[in-house]
Amino acid sequence: MSGHPSLEELEAISLGETPAEVEAHVAGCAECSRELAWLEAERALISRRPKSEVAHLWAGVAKRLEQPEQPLSADQRKRPRPHWARRLVVGAATAASAAAVLLLTMHPKAGPNFSTPDASVAETDFDGPDSKALAALDRAEGDYRHAATVLEAEYAAARNTLDPKLARQWDESLAKARAELGASRAVAAEDVNARMRVLDGYAGYVRLLRNVMEAEEANP
Amino acid sequence: MESAAARSGSDRELLLRAQAGNAEAFRVIFDREAPGVRRFLGDLLRDDAAADEGTQETFVRAHLRLTTLEQPEKLQGWLFGIARMVFLEQLRRKSRDAPMPEDGEPMRVDSAPTPEAALLSGEADKVLDGALADLSAERRAALLMRLDHGLAYGDIAAAMGWTLQKVKNEIHRARLQLRERLASYLEGAA
Repeated sequence: MSGHPSLEELEAISLGETPAEVEAHVAGCAECSRELAWLEAERALISRRPKSEVAHLWAGVAKRLEQPEQPLSADQRKRPRPHWARRLVVGAATAASAAAVLLLTMHPKAGPNFSTPDASVAETDFDGPDSKALAALDRAEGDYRHAATVLEAEYAAARNTLDPKLARQWDESLAKARAELGASRAVAAEDVNARMRVLDGYAGYVRLLRNVMEAEEANP
Repeated sequence: MESAAARSGSDRELLLRAQAGNAEAFRVIFDREAPGVRRFLGDLLRDDAAADEGTQETFVRAHLRLTTLEQPEKLQGWLFGIARMVFLEQLRRKSRDAPMPEDGEPMRVDSAPTPEAALLSGEADKVLDGALADLSAERRAALLMRLDHGLAYGDIAAAMGWTLQKVKNEIHRARLQLRERLASYLEGAA
């Protein structure tokens, strides 16, 4: 081969995934051999550090996932709640109520149990679409749409005050989430399980919007 | 603990089950990915309690947004992107008035010390730790995603919100900075 291989190619050798041609060059080139030795030494030094223990962290995650709304920290309780948050609470609470009604209507045991991961988890094996369930789904979806609209308006109002680069990143994330949501809604039709996933998608989108606003609220 | 059923599922099935609200599937994802996320946040925050809290926050957010992830093979990079945002928020809360350290341009590294000596040196781990701490948080994040967690450059670009070229430049500079520190330590020790 002509010339030295690129850094990425040398890196690939250190990972054992490289063309024989490159490897042959490195074997006969002192400069590249040395560079490769450094790459391997760096990787070895970094990877031989102690591993992280995480088993004790799951309980805290599970506990928070079981809560519909995260409790406010002492610091948050002291601060006046911004007006967008008050409106979101109304929208989200309505949506959550609708979703709860939906779950009870369709399957009393449906829903995840995060505190007992090894136990048998109820599957979403609903009997099939019926008008009652679909009507509840429509209501829940409408409430989520409303919450999303409120937050989108708040974001649009706050956007000009944000760092332009950060705003573009948020725009991209939100546009991607919207596109995915739209696509999943388009194919869901009257499939109840798919419609439930659409609701999950709405919940995720609303959370994303809320996180955007909270991040900006916390870091004006 | 993973059940046999959960382990037997492919990554795509696992993700789909988690997206559908299956708590066991999400727990499997946590068991697989949390060690890397915790280590990543530990390296960024350099504070065990904050890293534990950040790891939990990352997985809570990941659960809430799980339906936005379509490609299971991107899961690790996606989680690291969330972890990075959590880290930045923690950093801003803790040191709003303190500017983030800026990265200098690394010097060209003298070729005298050998990398093998770095591996054999008992102090090299401490030197490495100090060198990592001296990198800016963003450069450190990119470097560790590559060296410690084996993410592809494209996945790092997505997680960091950078162009591919910037990822390559930053990782290259971070490497030179690390090597500069290790080399100067080895020269002094020789």
